[in-house]
Amino acid sequence: MYDVIIIGGGPAGAAASVYTGRKKIKTLLLTDSFGGQSIVSDNIENWIGIKKISGFELAKMLEDHVRACEEVEIKMPEKVDKVIEAKNGFRVETNKNTYQAKTLIVASGGRRRRLNVPGEEKFNGKGVSYCSTCDAPLFKDKEVAVIGGGNAGLEAAIDLIHYASKIYIINHGSELGGDPSTQEEIRKSPKVVVINNAETQEILGDRFVTAIKYLDKQSNQVKELSVGGIFVEIGSIPNSEFMKGLVEMNKAGEIIVDHRTLATSKPGIFAAGDVTDEIYKQNNISAGDAIAAALSAYNYLLNIKKQSPAYENKNSN
Amino acid sequence: MANKVVIYTTPECVYCKITKEFFKKNNVVYEEKDVSVDDKARNEMVDKSGQLGVPVIDIGGKIIVGFDKEILLKFIDMK
Repeated sequence: MYDVIIIGGGPAGAAASVYTGRKKIKTLLLTDSFGGQSIVSDNIENWIGIKKISGFELAKMLEDHVRACEEVEIKMPEKVDKVIEAKNGFRVETNKNTYQAKTLIVASGGRRRRLNVPGEEKFNGKGVSYCSTCDAPLFKDKEVAVIGGGNAGLEAAIDLIHYASKIYIINHGSELGGDPSTQEEIRKSPKVVVINNAETQEILGDRFVTAIKYLDKQSNQVKELSVGGIFVEIGSIPNSEFMKGLVEMNKAGEIIVDHRTLATSKPGIFAAGDVTDEIYKQNNISAGDAIAAALSAYNYLLNIKKQSPAYENKNSN
Repeated sequence: MANKVVIYTTPECVYCKITKEFFKKNNVVYEEKDVSVDDKARNEMVDKSGQLGVPVIDIGGKIIVGFDKEILLKFIDMK
């Protein structure tokens, strides 16, 4: 039986582990990997205290820090399937084992949202990509589409400008989102064509992607573009499925927390980072919130200790 | 003799870096082909794997796509 199980190895999970470790409470960290979603960023310029760092280096720093904590046991790679309420705490079932703890900190973050259209799964890795920094060089002299007109979509288009011959940005809204400076960079390139009010309907191909079909919402017509690559950049969704039914969530599947204590609707379960209804999905905020969650979990453990008969006896003697 | 290990990469691909680091840690000798500059290697990779994504790893003819520690360990153990 652990005092606390922390789920997730991003900035939130790592920060929570360092704090529970320093409080000398028996901690288990369950994660697939360290670093969280930022691991694929080639440049992070807003992690406070470091002017510039890659996601890969940040991941290593987080891992090193957690590994320096003696009280923290790490199981990796391990994927949590289910959490069940048990006697005196919670039972966490993973793809490999089952563990028990008195309290939980859920810091499982988010993952990339998928289009959920026909062809997406079939052509994943065969023209459909979720990592423009990784895969852009493979689309040299090809026409490609970027789905999503927010910052992530615009940045993907910028990655592709060096390689692709033409880049269509398929944007759901009536105008581009994202930062004005990024928009400006996009507009400067003659290779980029923005298509607004467009809803992706299907990805077509044979061995690899050959075309994309979208609905032009203004004319209500379905149109087709010949492209060899499709980069999906339509935001992220919380990794909260394994908590369903146990804690309250909003419509987006984010775990609702009390933003003072990071407590969920279930006493003994705390949550922090991108899996929660925190408005700003930021590494620094995830780490800070997770620290609050760790301290709240620590206080929760102190309180259950005080309420236990053994503690009463000891103190009345 | 150990199987020849080739990894197809791009410069900014994090999972390529993770895979290379993993090889170094496990004393695996590998050849790296950067498909962002090497057109021949890019075609070779696409032919071998049917994939348009990196990393692609070729361990003695066995093609592995993406970084999966457990799958890689299995193949490395077989050597």
